[in-house]
Amino acid sequence: MPLHIALLELKLYVLDRGELALSIALPIALFALMYGAFGGESSFSATADIVDLDGGAHARALIQRLDSLDEITVRERAPQDANAALERSAITMAVVIPDGFSQSLDSGAPQPLLFRQRGSGGDTGQIVAGIVRAVAQRMSGEAQLRGTVLDATSGSNIERADVERAIAETLERVRQNPPIRVVERAVHDERPSALDRLVPGLLVMFLMFSITLGAQTLVEERRIGTLERLMTTRLTVTKLFIGKFLSAALRAMFQAVILLTLAFAALRIGGLVDYAELLALSVCVAAAVSAIGLVIGALARTRDQAVWAAVVFTMFMTVFGGTFFDVGADGPLATLARLTITRYAIESMSAVLSAGESLAQQGVGILALGGVAAVALTIARALFRVTETGR
Amino acid sequence: MTAAQDFLTASSLHKAFDGAQAVDGVSFTIRQGEIFGLLGPNGAGKTTTIRMLSTVLQADAGDVTIGGFSVGRQGDEVRRLIGVCPQELALYPELSASDNMIFFGRMAGLSGREAKAAARQNLETVGLADRAKDKVDKFSGGMKRRVNIAIALMNRPRMLFLDEPTVGIDPQSRNHIFETVESLRDGGMTVLYTTHYMEEADRLCDRIGIMDHGRLISLGAPRELKARIGDPDQVTLESVFLDLTGRSLRD
Repeated sequence: MPLHIALLELKLYVLDRGELALSIALPIALFALMYGAFGGESSFSATADIVDLDGGAHARALIQRLDSLDEITVRERAPQDANAALERSAITMAVVIPDGFSQSLDSGAPQPLLFRQRGSGGDTGQIVAGIVRAVAQRMSGEAQLRGTVLDATSGSNIERADVERAIAETLERVRQNPPIRVVERAVHDERPSALDRLVPGLLVMFLMFSITLGAQTLVEERRIGTLERLMTTRLTVTKLFIGKFLSAALRAMFQAVILLTLAFAALRIGGLVDYAELLALSVCVAAAVSAIGLVIGALARTRDQAVWAAVVFTMFMTVFGGTFFDVGADGPLATLARLTITRYAIESMSAVLSAGESLAQQGVGILALGGVAAVALTIARALFRVTETGR
Repeated sequence: MTAAQDFLTASSLHKAFDGAQAVDGVSFTIRQGEIFGLLGPNGAGKTTTIRMLSTVLQADAGDVTIGGFSVGRQGDEVRRLIGVCPQELALYPELSASDNMIFFGRMAGLSGREAKAAARQNLETVGLADRAKDKVDKFSGGMKRRVNIAIALMNRPRMLFLDEPTVGIDPQSRNHIFETVESLRDGGMTVLYTTHYMEEADRLCDRIGIMDHGRLISLGAPRELKARIGDPDQVTLESVFLDLTGRSLRD
């Protein structure tokens, strides 16, 4: 029965095209604001002009790796074309992959890349050269590793193809999860970056809006008379509340997924694991706020009462929970913030995003949010029984 | 009359809201298979009484048994026996008639297949089988009222509560509802019916209870009530009602 209640709510939600459109448009609009404020902050970007005289597998791999970097766009040029561009200062630097590059790399013999540049290559040219150098050195290291392992296993009965496959898989794993992760921090500021704090803040604020959804769902059912009718069926108050809770949480998550996906895709604030962990934390927040919404819904008699109570509650949580500013670790503001679920949610999300902590390390936050959800649901059910049925 | 023939027994029901006594010691019985009319001016306590009888509201004092089960202590058993058609159109306007009925059928404990079959059958009963897939939002007032009744029949109840089921509808729809209620009674269903239309109560009800100021002030068959103030062939039920409850305006 709770599932039927939740499905009904979702069906009504989908059928109400205005509400559906608004719930999709709002996260997109919010994301657009975020992108406008922080989208350009990320960083350096430049075009790497490359002349491939080798054309072998390693040369192509180098070009492909460079092209996959966010900062670099590869433009391949013919030798004469690159020379002409350098001559007329259309470019300041070109990377030349010499003939025999791939063969040398396979044999382990050193084979330099050639950076042709005007003067020092300019600031941009030097940065591009640094990036190309780093990628080439990594490839060189990988080639040396491959050569060493193949030599070491050449006398054994292990198939060469198996060894190469194992090496390739290991190197790919290291590329996906590098043992050293670089975290950028401003000088004199050891706190998470503005983006790392603001993304969780805005996400939590958005999830907080679903307090209104939870509050309104009961009031609306009461207004159209279906609530009283439901109470004459075999649906218990507990099942009713679980159903309402599920639907409010699912609707909140729908919007959170849109916002989070856009933020990760466009602002590149983290990897897939970070995304999944933030999504899991969003579920905890959605559960807590949906349950609080039901407390308001159980008490409110009119839609206006429900909406205003939800808005005031959301504002309090948002402002004092540290959505827009750091409340610090001590002082009255920090004490006040500890009374908000927003603080626990933002702290946990920020820790995942900027400090590289895992979901398993967010026990306090998850416990606080889960506890709020359980306690609020219990209170909402008890209040409803008293106010609605006089029991 | 033996106790076994009484399907509903209300004993000394009391309910107060903010110190104001809405229902004040109401007692009556409803026999199995009869249509019992509960009449009274606005604010007399009819709807509060129905809410207590139908397990929605807990009485401050007194008890109700329906089909041998106590409303206060055996609510779930009582809810298996009753169907409630509230005064408001308790429908989801965005859903079709059929979807509304299937949903409430599931809430009444029917399986998906049972709910679909019951929805088909009850829509036929109220003459809306051909509009099953249409959104309730597009229905006329009379059609909505009929869906409202059809939903109350989803769990094949033994007792039906109809709280002003004919408010604001045309004579054709009203007549259709009368015929439906009479055929349900003929099938053995017990019905509690409230209305402000006296001729409606006169036509349908086997017995009538008149409430005012939270008390049951008169009870009997329509003809008995009329005989108390004059010739039952000349006196109307409206005259009885006004004689008992006065002519001053109510809320």
